[in-house]
Formats: sequence, structure tokens, C-alpha cells
Amino acid sequence: MKFKDYYEILGVARTASSDEIKKAYRKLAHQYHPDVSKDPAGEAKFKEVGEAYATLKDKEKRAAYDELGRHPSGQEFRPPPNWSGQQNGQAYSFDDIDLSDLFASFTKGSHHAQQGRNMPIPGQDYELTTQISLEDAYQGTMVELSFTVPEYDSQGQLKRVPHTFKARIPKGVTNGQKMLLRGKGGKGSNGGKDGNLYLNISFLTHRLFRVVNHDLYIDLPLTPWEAALGATVKVPTLQGAVNLKVPAGAKSGQKFRIGKRGMPKHNHEQGDLYAVTQIVVSANPTEQELALFKQLADISIFNPREHFD
Amino acid sequence: MMKNAINIEHSELIWLDEHHEVSMGELAELSGISIEELHQLVESGALIPNNLTENKLSDAWHFNSHCIVSIRALSRLKNDFELEPNVLGLMLIFLERIRMLEHRLNKI
Repeated sequence: MKFKDYYEILGVARTASSDEIKKAYRKLAHQYHPDVSKDPAGEAKFKEVGEAYATLKDKEKRAAYDELGRHPSGQEFRPPPNWSGQQNGQAYSFDDIDLSDLFASFTKGSHHAQQGRNMPIPGQDYELTTQISLEDAYQGTMVELSFTVPEYDSQGQLKRVPHTFKARIPKGVTNGQKMLLRGKGGKGSNGGKDGNLYLNISFLTHRLFRVVNHDLYIDLPLTPWEAALGATVKVPTLQGAVNLKVPAGAKSGQKFRIGKRGMPKHNHEQGDLYAVTQIVVSANPTEQELALFKQLADISIFNPREHFD
Repeated sequence: MMKNAINIEHSELIWLDEHHEVSMGELAELSGISIEELHQLVESGALIPNNLTENKLSDAWHFNSHCIVSIRALSRLKNDFELEPNVLGLMLIFLERIRMLEHRLNKI
């Protein structure tokens, strides 16, 4: 088990009073709480701060923590023999657990023992983000979810146990959709309910399509002569390619709607696909192509910047 | 380490959006906010059941499931900052406003 210096985490002296500990915690919580801070590292930092506060605000836990002695942060250590954290005959293996698991379990096993031994304790909620492809979101998919949770084994010892299960993501999900899997979080104890798993759906970037709610957008490159003369072009969709008739005189940035070729909605409707035109020229034109463009330049009276004058 | 057996269960999957609903009891259970506190949030106007105008008893109230996200955040903030009950309504209004603004921002 690795040692964590809870005093150092909160930035207080080992002799700090309860009020000083509370004040330091609140200051750091304002800075790092995931519901307040936008710092991506904030959540992990707040977890550490919360863990330190949960132990140091409780007189008995703090005393048991102090008894562990002082070690450099991150150093492997084992609690001393007859450590007061092992109460009620409860022995810990100290394998596969960390300090936070130990002190979370300490509440159940020690100072609330008589009152709380049989109290139902709900399992912890977890939150995961899973990334899926647009194709999988379009037709629905199974995802495998894995995370580790602290659990008691049959000998009553606390261990970190990997949880792996499959969940079906139904079609119709949107990028950023949140879902809840009831009872798939940490195990409850003493008859307490199992925690829930909050699942955030995130779409992988697609090489062709961009997603806006249930609509899809695709860039549609056109040659100058397709734009000038009009053309029927093949446009890929998630349901196979469709022919799109581009009228003569198309401009860059024009949007053509292809109905019901977007993402499915929960009510059996479907979003649309928008093809956005881009007029492009070859980066490596042949001599003959260049000659023809030159000829066009010589005879054309078209001035696209007329309105500048 | 041995992996747990893989379970395939999807009957308990709840969509958290404006198209799906949860009951008062489910909201309390899933968010960690008590029924009494939910009552206070409704009384303060910070939380509005979908069927409030139908003269339903509070047991029959239902809410858009997306509010689980904000009320769960409210529950975390309440516990982590040891907030007084009388600020919860105000905080929920701000949380919902942030959620809506972020949602609109993501659409741009």
C-alpha cells in the first residue's frame, strides 16, 4: 500500500486544528471540485483532497492515520502491528487496496461499529465515458465497460475487484448523451443498494461526417466545371451512397439537404444529411488542363469581385 | 486477477435527456437528494414536475430524466461543501442555467 500525506495534500501542519483543516479543505474544494472547476486535472485532485478531508475531519480516523507514522508520499508501507485501525477482530490483507479504501472501510468497522455494523451502506456511483463510432451509434452497439471497485471478499477482506460487463447502446444516441445503468456501480453492503454507473457517450471523429444533434454534415468537393454546368454526383451516407443532382451555377458553401439520411432519433424519426459544396481545383493540373484554364481566363468576362469596387 | 463473469444486462439502462421521465422516488434514489428536499425544490420553483398542473399528488409527479444530472451535482455539492438547505434551490437554478448554456454552446 502506498502512503499518502493527507496533511501535505490539504496544505496544513500535522498539528492543525479541525477548523484549520476545514478551511483548507473548503479553499481547495472551491478550486478543484469537478462541478465547479473546468480544470481537466481538477477531478483527480479533488478526489485526493476529499479523501484527505474525510479522514482528517474525523477524530478517530485522524488518530488512526497519525498512528501510521510519517512516510514520504508514494512510499510503500504497511500499518504497524496492532494498529488501531484493525478493530473488532477485523484484519486487513492490505493487498490490492489503497489508503482511501482502508479509511472508507474503517468507518464501518470501528467507531460506528455497534450502531452501524448492520446499517445498509449503498454502493458508490461511478462515471465512465465510452467512445463509439458513428456507424455503431447509427445502428446501436454493445460496448464492454471495465473499471475497478473496492469490495469485500468472502473472508471479509477489502480488495479492488475489476468489474467488466457489456451494455447495449441503443440506436438513437447523440454525441454527449448521458445514460445511467442502474445497479452497475460499486456493491452495496449490509443490504444497501448497489451504486449506479453513469455513462457518457462520445462519438469518435469520423473521416467524412460531422454530427450536429441528429443531423450529419459532409463536405462535397466539386470541380469548377461541375459547379458551372451542374452534375449528378454520388454522396456517401451511413445507409449507402445516394445520387445528388447539383444544379448549374453552384457556389462554395451551398448546403444541399438529403432528407432522412442523418442519425436515428428516439421516436423512430431520423435526422438529415447536409452536403456542403466546396469548389476545388487539382493541385497538379496537366499541361492541357492549364492551357484550357488559360483559354477560359482569356475569354471570360466573369468578375467575382465586382462588388469590391 | 480473475475477472467477474461478463453480464449482459440492459433492461436497467435509463436515458438522461428531455425525452424520458423518472418518478419522484426514482429521482430521489438516483440523485441522492431526499424526498423532503425534492419537495422543497419544487416549492421554491427551482424544480418543476412535468405534470404539476394536473393536480397530481407529489407521489405521482414525474420529471424529465435529464434533471438527474443537475440534481446529482447538487447532491455532491451539498455534501462536499456542507451546504445549508435554503441555498439548494438557488444552486439548482444556476446549475440548470449552466447546463442549458453549455448545451447551446455545443450546438454552435
